Amino acid sequence: MIKVVNLKKSFGDLPVIKGITNEIRQKEVVCVIGPSGSGKSTFLRCLNLLEEPSGGKIYFEGKEITDHKQVDINLFRAEVGMVFQRFNLFPHMNVLENICLAPMKVRDLSREEAETRANLLLKKVGLQEKALDFPDNLSGGQQQRVAIARALAMHPKMMLFDEPTSALDPEMIKEVLDVIKELGKEGMTMVVVTHEMGFAREVADRVLFMDDGLIIEENSPEQLFNHPKNERTKMFLSKIL
Amino acid sequence: MDYSWSWKVIIHSLPMLLAGARLTIRLTCIAVGMGIIIGTFVGIGRISKNKLVYALSSVYVHFIRGTPLLVQLYLFYFALPALLGFPIPPMPAAIISMSINSGAYVAEIVRAGIQSIDRGQMEAARSLGMTYRQGMRFIIIPQTFKRIVPPLGNEFIALLKDSSIVSVIALEELVRKGYIIMGRTFRSFEIWTAVAFLFLFMTLPITQLVNYAERKLQNND
Ligand SMILES: Nc1ncnc2c1ncn2[C@@H]1O[C@H](COP(=O)(O)OP(=O)(O)OP(=O)(O)O)[C@@H](O)[C@H]1O
Ligand SMILES: [Mg+2]
Repeated sequence: MIKVVNLKKSFGDLPVIKGITNEIRQKEVVCVIGPSGSGKSTFLRCLNLLEEPSGGKIYFEGKEITDHKQVDINLFRAEVGMVFQRFNLFPHMNVLENICLAPMKVRDLSREEAETRANLLLKKVGLQEKALDFPDNLSGGQQQRVAIARALAMHPKMMLFDEPTSALDPEMIKEVLDVIKELGKEGMTMVVVTHEMGFAREVADRVLFMDDGLIIEENSPEQLFNHPKNERTKMFLSKIL
Repeated sequence: MDYSWSWKVIIHSLPMLLAGARLTIRLTCIAVGMGIIIGTFVGIGRISKNKLVYALSSVYVHFIRGTPLLVQLYLFYFALPALLGFPIPPMPAAIISMSINSGAYVAEIVRAGIQSIDRGQMEAARSLGMTYRQGMRFIIIPQTFKRIVPPLGNEFIALLKDSSIVSVIALEELVRKGYIIMGRTFRSFEIWTAVAFLFLFMTLPITQLVNYAERKLQNND
């Protein structure tokens, strides 16, 4: 579904992604783990070109999206949903408007179509009664579920999650992870950066361990968590498990 | 000191002074209104990644903010007509120079307002497939409205006071009216006191509104 070849990203003189090659297949759930500052977010943000790669190539469904002349970046981004650590809901709009805006402006849906779609999604994330609330009046867990519904409203082919539960109070983590799990079961292709090892173990088809701008080790969760091969992976896991 | 304060002078000149105050308000409203339109575009230009757009808007802002309004007025009233070969009447000259002046200050207000919005907002918009323009229009700009109201109020007050400068090209706003009445009555103490208080009556309500808006804003976020 998406393939990166020798991906590199520097901020000024600081190299952050130092050459990543990997492929995420359709319906695959990939979790990315690694120490703080290892470049997990940057890698994820390169995948939907929120960060412009400094080098390397990215192919989405066979087309090179790093080639600006060939591909409309906005159309590509509409195919890829993203959920942020800090939700990033639009505070000046209610929940329904948050979800309907992009489908109407980018996909040219009518208001009725968009609202029908939004209400279905709100039901799916368990928030249908919050449609007219403003984000500031929702708990963190509810905001993040709205953010997921907002991304899904574009009917993306792939979803990217950047530590979707790191900004949440412990008692709200489960409700968000459950929604993501459910998506995985439905066959959504997903890349999830997470510190929730239990979650990764349960839903991931594959886990990538990143350190210092590179994928150091990748394997099935069972193998990676129980039989890590690389010293750095072992050290990281021993610290957090 | 046996200057005898005369209320009669003030009462007699009040209609003229009020007419002047009306022009002062009108000029300021038009200028700030135009300033908001100019300033919105230039403010967005000031954060543009397009080098030319950025350079042009920066030159404009720095030039206007770095030179006196009086000189800008002379440029439009005396210098530009010499170049064009036909005169620009005082009223258009005043409106143009005040609008262009206001636009530069509003641009900086708009720029600061946009930059105060969390980066994550634009990122969320872009990640949904919206263009930069759509992100600005539907997400960023609406959120800046609330934040730029207080500084816009201050800009209005500043320009209202500075508008007295157009008296030098014979526009009969409040200060010019003061001169005229003084020439007839020689009661400078009464006249300038009255002029001062009329300015105060115009600016004070706006100051109060700005304070109120600032307090509401603090309670909100
Ligand atoms: N916009 C930026 N400008 C400059 N440096 C940046 C920028 N974004 C990230 N970095 C740097 O890149 C490095 C990797 O950051 P990144 O956010 O990708 O790490 P991460 O693995 O997601 O960490 P965390 O677990 O803390 O979220 C860090 O050293 C960070 O300071
Ligand atoms: Mg991160």
